[in-house]
Amino acid sequence: MNFGKQLKEGLISQNPVLVQLLGMCSTMAITTSFFNGLGMGVSVLIILTLSNIFISLLRKIIPNEVRIACYIVVIAGFVTCVDLLLKAFVPALSASLGVFIPLIVVNCIILGRAEGYASKNGVGASTVDGICQGIGYTVVLIAMCVVREFLGNGKFGGGLLGGGALGSAPGISIIPEEFGIKVLTLPVGGFLTLGALIAVMQWALAKAEKKKEAK
Amino acid sequence: MKISPKFILKVAGTLTVISLVVAAMLGLVNSITADKIAEIDAENTRISMSAVAPEGSEFGDKMELTETAVAAAAAQGGKLMEMYPVTNGGAEAGYVLKISASGSQGSIVMMVGVDANKAITGISVVSHAETSGIGTKVVGNDLNAAGEPVLDQFIGLSGAGSLVVGSNITPITGATVSTKGITTGANAALAAVDALG
Repeated sequence: MNFGKQLKEGLISQNPVLVQLLGMCSTMAITTSFFNGLGMGVSVLIILTLSNIFISLLRKIIPNEVRIACYIVVIAGFVTCVDLLLKAFVPALSASLGVFIPLIVVNCIILGRAEGYASKNGVGASTVDGICQGIGYTVVLIAMCVVREFLGNGKFGGGLLGGGALGSAPGISIIPEEFGIKVLTLPVGGFLTLGALIAVMQWALAKAEKKKEAK
Repeated sequence: MKISPKFILKVAGTLTVISLVVAAMLGLVNSITADKIAEIDAENTRISMSAVAPEGSEFGDKMELTETAVAAAAAQGGKLMEMYPVTNGGAEAGYVLKISASGSQGSIVMMVGVDANKAITGISVVSHAETSGIGTKVVGNDLNAAGEPVLDQFIGLSGAGSLVVGSNITPITGATVSTKGITTGANAALAAVDALG
């Protein structure tokens, strides 16, 4: 178990969104405000970690033939728990994320890590994997939110900063709203931003690779 | 390959046990959150009801829906979902109805207030799937082509089926279908109240 290495994998070399290209639907759909991105990221982090722990614990009991069914039952259970808890204690977040919380059940990151990691590794390593991959996902979501909010509306921290109730706070205005590139706040802007981020990531990874070879 | 009964038992047994454990966990979480969620839902319903009824209105408990009221709403193209009696200073002051009608992208669920004279006291949208930036203008009560807030133009109107987009209802340019959805809901609400007698 190597926390540093796994964190680096989750954040950079095996980033769930930018390198493994998993869970892209929610990434594009909900990254319209800082509050949404943070809320979704943390929800996925918690569910991913819990399901990784649970599946790692059960990996020797679950028969190979029905493993996917077992994973889905476990994941769906945790997602429903988080959904209920958010509805009860953070209704503003639950309202703005809407259907994307229940949809975490079919988020490929969680099933992907269950099948690809937790079912083959011990509890400790799987826990760390869940946390690191969750952080990687959250960081990408927040980066997308910041880019889309700033370029689209000229704001930062929508839903969280700038006064007003949690979830409906206007955010801090950095440039006047009328100069924003409105298209970035629409779904198509999600595709454009994610595409640009993936391109930057691939460029950086390729560059690091070259440097390594040169040595 | 021959499947042995022992194997089937093992597979089914594991799945059953896992499902049971998860179900127990969900039951526990639900028992913590159920009351809280019901409270928040009730609060949201109350807020959306106050938005469509005159100030000082008080709302009774959810009414039993009568078949005739549901059928009358359906005849106008809307689905009657919930209904609450309204009183104002002790006197009966009409109803608030939760109606679902189809918009341009899916159902628009709205609250419609109807007073004792069967005239509309207000409409507000509870949930919808209208196109962002176009149909959402209707939901947000933006100005219509005549320069009047699109939902507010319904206030004071009466007569089930008499509200028609293009004659006495002015839509928002580009969002005619969404406006028609709201109009359908308004007609359905008036029809349902008529059916109560």
